[in-house]
Amino acid sequence: MSAASVLREQILSLVRQYHEAQFPVRPFAPGHDLAHYAGRVFDAEELCHLVDSSLDFFLTANRYAERFEAEFSDYLGLSDALLVNSGSSANLVAVTSLTSPKLGERRLKPGDEVLTVAAGFPTTLAPILQNSLVPVFVDVNLGDYTADPNRLADAIGPKTRAIVMAHTLGVPFDLDAVGELAKKHDLWLIEDNCDALGSRYRDRLTGTFGHLGTMSFYPAHHITMGEGGCVVTNDERLARIARSFRDWGRDCYCAGGESNTCGTRFSQQFGTLPHGFDHKYVYSHVGYNLKVTDMQAAIGCAQLQKLDTFIARRRANFDWLLNALRPYEDRLLLPRATPHSAPSWFGFAITVRDGAGFTRAELVRFLEANRIETRSLFAGNLLRHPAFTGIPHRVVGGLANTDTVMHQTFFVGVYPGLDRARLEHMASAFARFMRGERAGGL
Amino acid sequence: MAVAQKLQCAVERIVDHGEHVYTLVLRPDRPAPRFRAGQFLHLALDPYDPTGFWPESRVFSIASSPDDRSAVRVTYAVHGQFTARMESEIREGGRVWIKMPYGDFVIDSPGDVVLFAGGTGISAFTAYLEALSPPASDRSYVLGYGARTAELLIYKDVVDRSAARVPALDVTWFVETGAIPSSRIGDPTRWLPGRVSVAALWTQIRRPRESDFYISGPPAMLAAVAADLRARQVAPEAIHIDAWE
Repeated sequence: MSAASVLREQILSLVRQYHEAQFPVRPFAPGHDLAHYAGRVFDAEELCHLVDSSLDFFLTANRYAERFEAEFSDYLGLSDALLVNSGSSANLVAVTSLTSPKLGERRLKPGDEVLTVAAGFPTTLAPILQNSLVPVFVDVNLGDYTADPNRLADAIGPKTRAIVMAHTLGVPFDLDAVGELAKKHDLWLIEDNCDALGSRYRDRLTGTFGHLGTMSFYPAHHITMGEGGCVVTNDERLARIARSFRDWGRDCYCAGGESNTCGTRFSQQFGTLPHGFDHKYVYSHVGYNLKVTDMQAAIGCAQLQKLDTFIARRRANFDWLLNALRPYEDRLLLPRATPHSAPSWFGFAITVRDGAGFTRAELVRFLEANRIETRSLFAGNLLRHPAFTGIPHRVVGGLANTDTVMHQTFFVGVYPGLDRARLEHMASAFARFMRGERAGGL
Repeated sequence: MAVAQKLQCAVERIVDHGEHVYTLVLRPDRPAPRFRAGQFLHLALDPYDPTGFWPESRVFSIASSPDDRSAVRVTYAVHGQFTARMESEIREGGRVWIKMPYGDFVIDSPGDVVLFAGGTGISAFTAYLEALSPPASDRSYVLGYGARTAELLIYKDVVDRSAARVPALDVTWFVETGAIPSSRIGDPTRWLPGRVSVAALWTQIRRPRESDFYISGPPAMLAAVAADLRARQVAPEAIHIDAWE
């Protein structure tokens, strides 16, 4: 072994010791410690991967990024997985890819309509607008918070060209119906799978049904790289276009630090450029730079090994909470899966029923006062936010349920960092609130 | 293009075809990534440290079937410094690094297909030919395959098997120098002296305006065949060339 290799081993051994010292498992102190809604779950492996990568000092995507993309695409059973620096970037790349001139007549053009929902996260919607496409909003179901497929069918018009929707909080939307609509009307389908890694529909992983799928690896998500995301597809042509938009818009698909993987770097003709102009600097799209570092990918490699365990713990936590909160179903609409689906739950969504005798604000305030984190179902109704008022759009069938989500829905966590003690604390807080306790306002 | 991966491989077997033409059978340490018939790989002779940069490498068509990712086969002829190094340095039992898959030279035409293969250029077509099955429709395949000598038609067995299995595959052999095998005398329309040429194949092509043409071989052959096709008013988008620098 070289001196550097020996030192690297010593450093990684120390990193393990550091992890033990810095991140010991501490017993949960109810009322003092937060019961987070989400968070990073890691052990010494993630730290070792991170330091190992930093010692390479390659910095940009390299061996860990290559490994993650290979292992992740295998996990999904798809040809391609392209790491990007966030789930939002993944959506931007995915939607923008469909505007590529390389798609000929099938490309999305300004003014084309895209079906989506308003009850969600802004960066599902933003790329539609950023590409001068027109969103068409349909309402969601309460309980599963996914689009009503009948509304989707009603919303299709002569300019409708795509469907871009999220599997809300891990609940797969009706992929049978959406798939049929897409096929019947020759629509592109992008699954925003950022909140649903590991969810299944008819036993097939979500994110693998559409032409493109997107993932987020933000700390709140099923696995994390800190910041990070991924675009996945089984269409090699779309993968190449997406890679181009991710990598400055260049035509060349070489990874950072590599050249001439195509073997024709100096012998091609592009547009009116001189014959043989360096392919590495030929731009076929107006693109971005949305790549990850190898340090991020290194953490992702360690997280990916734990993904199945994480999914199982999310499901177990969800089931436990569901049982614990069933007694309050007369006042709380509890979350449900769509038919044929097995969600990898992102959170536990609750809608305070009309006539419950209390408001969402009162319940959320009580939970937060008891150190239980809550979150809105993201934006509630995106159309009511300052950024999105006045955007060109259509609404089909009204958004009554979306407004209900905005006023009455929130979610608490089911993430793997919640152990039994934390879950019992959460259940206890709900029970006390339902008995009428209201003390401890913020 | 599927996610490209770098793989260390054991050199399991070297087949010396003579005249400095070799086939390498490489066994990667882990299964090769998914690839499509016609794609290529990079092969490096110098050690690769995954924490650093990829060393100098050259590209070679993947001649083996995508169905078997436990072994990868490439065929090369010694033409320059790198392939001379390959000839002198690669030994059975040795180790090399590859990265794969790359390339768009994938035969995905729904209509008639015409293949021009010169020398080791046939390796871009072998995986496709091995997977070829009798078409359900009235589809035809034409292959012109040439080499310097009959002995250097190194994938003749693959072509023969495909032709036996797929009657719609029409094969014409070209031999630049030396004798045509005596067993083939009396079959002059199928065994022709000289280089692979469009003129010699043109009458075999049933629907030239509806065919896709794929060319793989030495640069001079690529240029000549492509120029001839263009002169015959074949649309540029129907001409696919497996060209590397």
